Amino acid sequence: MLAEVPLEEEVVLVRMDVAGEDVEPLLERGIVPGCKLCPVRHAPVGGPTVYSVDGCLVALRREIASCLCVRSALEAAGVLDSN
Amino acid sequence: MADSRPLVLLAGPPNSGKSTLFNSLTGLRQRVANYPGVTVERRSGLVRLTSGRVELVDLPGVHGLSPRSLDQLVTRQALLGEMQGGRRPDGLVVLLDSTRLRSHLMVAESFLGLGIPTLVALAMADELDRRDGAVEAADLSRELGVEVALVDARDPGTLEPVHSFLEALLTGGEEARACPAVAVADSHIAQLPAHAPTRPLPVVDLFSARRDRARQLGRTAGYRAPRESVVTKRLDALALHRIWGPVVFLGVVALVFQTIFAWAVPLMDATEAMIGISGRYLHAIMPDGWLRALLIEGVWAGVGSVIVFLPQILILFFFIALMEDSGYMARAAVIADRLMHRVGLQGRSFLPLLSAYACAIPAIMSARAVEDERDRLATIFIAPFMTCSARLPVYALLIAAFVPAGPVLGPILGQRAAVLIGLYALGLVAAIGTAALLKRTLLRGRPLPFVMELPPYRMPSARSVATRLLDRAKVFLRRAGRIILAVTVVLWVLTQLPRTSDGGSPPIEESALGRMGQLIEPAIEPLGLDWRIGIGLVTSLAAREVIVGTLGTIYGVEAEDDTTLELRAALQRDMDLGSAVALLVFFAFALQCMSTVAVMRRETGGWRWPSLQFAYMLVLAYLGAWAAKSIL
Repeated sequence: MLAEVPLEEEVVLVRMDVAGEDVEPLLERGIVPGCKLCPVRHAPVGGPTVYSVDGCLVALRREIASCLCVRSALEAAGVLDSN
Repeated sequence: MADSRPLVLLAGPPNSGKSTLFNSLTGLRQRVANYPGVTVERRSGLVRLTSGRVELVDLPGVHGLSPRSLDQLVTRQALLGEMQGGRRPDGLVVLLDSTRLRSHLMVAESFLGLGIPTLVALAMADELDRRDGAVEAADLSRELGVEVALVDARDPGTLEPVHSFLEALLTGGEEARACPAVAVADSHIAQLPAHAPTRPLPVVDLFSARRDRARQLGRTAGYRAPRESVVTKRLDALALHRIWGPVVFLGVVALVFQTIFAWAVPLMDATEAMIGISGRYLHAIMPDGWLRALLIEGVWAGVGSVIVFLPQILILFFFIALMEDSGYMARAAVIADRLMHRVGLQGRSFLPLLSAYACAIPAIMSARAVEDERDRLATIFIAPFMTCSARLPVYALLIAAFVPAGPVLGPILGQRAAVLIGLYALGLVAAIGTAALLKRTLLRGRPLPFVMELPPYRMPSARSVATRLLDRAKVFLRRAGRIILAVTVVLWVLTQLPRTSDGGSPPIEESALGRMGQLIEPAIEPLGLDWRIGIGLVTSLAAREVIVGTLGTIYGVEAEDDTTLELRAALQRDMDLGSAVALLVFFAFALQCMSTVAVMRRETGGWRWPSLQFAYMLVLAYLGAWAAKSIL
C-alpha cells in the first residue's frame, strides 16, 4: 500500500480501492493506475504525506494512501522488460 | 449592446496563473459578481482590441468538469452555455502550466471536447526553459487542432497571440474559428449525468485512457518535463520540516495576528479620524434638521463603524494574496490538516477560521476554498465564534470596568489580559464543539478525501496582489455597507420616534428603541441586565461595537475617548461582576452582527443556515450568560 512506502522510493500505482465518488479527486490530479508516485515528505505531527506525481506535488492523508495498492517502480519495469 | 460583444471564457486548472493573465488582459476594467443562484464568484472584464472589445470571464480553476464541487459545476455550466442567460461562449482560452503539462493536458481534454473555438496558452514557459524542460508549441498545436501559444502573463509582449485570437473572434477571422480537432471520443462532459453522486469503476478507465492520451500528446509535442524545482524543494524542506514547519506556520499566524491587531491600528485610527472630520464638515455645512441628524448620527456613525475595519480586512487579504500566490497557503493547509481533521474539518478550513479573528465576513467569503460542501458549511457556521475585532471594544470596556489590574503571572500576564485570553479561548472551544456537533448531526457524512496539490513556489506579482485587494475592498464595502446602512437608518429612526409635543426627539428611554429595550428587559433580567443594556443588545445587532456608543448615549455621556472613564463608572454603578461576566459571555457567543448574517445568506444561498445559526448562537449565549451569572 502507498502509505507503507518509504520516502524517495518510486512506485507504480496498481489498483485503487477507493469507494465511489472519493476516487474522482485523485483521478483528476493524475493519480490513475499506471502512474508513478514517490513520497517526498511527511508533513509534521502525523499530517498528510506529500507525493510527487508526474512532476506535481500532491498531499494525501494516510487513510487514502492506505487504499492505493502499489508496486515498486523497479519491479514494474522488470515485469515490462521480461514481457 | 453588451451581448453583441464576443464572450470568451478563460479556463484552466487551479494555480496555472489564470488570474494574473486575466488581470493583464483586462486591467482594471473588471466586475466581480456572483453567478445567479450560486455563491461562486464570476469575474468578468473587457479586453480592448483594435477592432472593439471582447468580454472575458475568468472561470474558477478546476481539475475537471464533473459536478462534484460548486466550482466545477459552474465551470461546466458556463462552458455549456447554461450560464450567462443561456449564451454560449464565442471563444475559449485554456491556460495550462507548462511546467506541469502532463497532468494539465489531462484537464485540458475536458475543455477541448466542446466544439468552442479555442486557444491553448502555455504559461510559465520561461520557468520550463530555466529548468531544462521543453515543449514544441507548433507540434502540440497540430495535434490538438487549435492554436497553442507560449505566454508569460507578466510580460505583455508575450500576450500578442492571445490578442490576435480575440481580435479574430471579433472580426470573424478564420483562424480563430477553428475548433479543437482532438479526438475526445469519451468526452468526460458528455458522459457524466448532471447529478451523479456515485459512479462505478469505469471512471477509472476513463481517466487512465485520458492520461495515456495526454502522455502521447506530450511525446508528439516533444515535451520534456522540467527538472525538479530546487527552490520549491529547499523551501519545502523548511515549510514542511517536522520541527521548523510548525514553527514557520506559527510564525506566519503570529505575524498575521500582530499585523491585524497592532500594526493596523494607526491605519484604523486614520480612517476613523477621516470619518470624524468628514462628519464634522457635513455637520457644519448642512442646515440643522432631521436630514442632518439622520446623515451624521445614523449613516455616518453606523457605516463609519464598519468602514473603520477596512484597513484590517485589506491587511488580512494582503496576507491571503501573498500566501496564495506564493504557494505557501497549500503548505499551511497541509500542516493544519491534522489539527482540523480532529474536529471533523480539513486543512483548507484553517485559513477562513484564522481570518475570522479579524472579521467573520471575509472569513465566510474565503470559505469558498473549502471543496467539500459539508466542510464549507461547517466552516461558515463556526467562523462567527472566533473572536472578531468588533468584540474587542466591548471586551475592553467591560474588562477595564470590572477586572482589577493585578498580576497573574508576574509581569508577563495580568488579570485583565488573562480574562481577554480566556474569552478568545471560550470562542475557540465553542467553535470546536459546534464543528464536532455539526459533523455528527446535520452535516454528517463521509468527508471527501483530502487531496491537496502543492503548486511550485512563485514570487507573487505586485499587480495581481493589488488587483485582488481592490476587488476585496469593493466586495466588502458593497456587501457590508448596504446592510449596515439599512440597519443604522432604521435604528436611528427608532430613536427619533415618537416625536415630543414640541416636535423634538424623545428622551432615549421613551423612544421606540427605548421601549424595545424595556420590552426585552424581563428576558435579560435573569442575566442581571437592565433595559439600558437591552437597548445596547438591540442596537448591537447592527454591529457588536455599536453597544459601546449606545451605552454612552444612554448614560448621557459623550462617546468620546476621554469620557470612557465616566461610562466605566456608570457601568460599575449599575452592574455587578456577575452581570458583567454574563454580558461578556453573551457577546462571546451571540451572533450580534447583521452583516455576517447577510453575507451568510449570500454564501449559503438562503435563510435556512443564517436563521439556524442566529438561533443556535443566541440560545448558547443566553444559557452561557445565565450560567455565568448564577455561578458568580
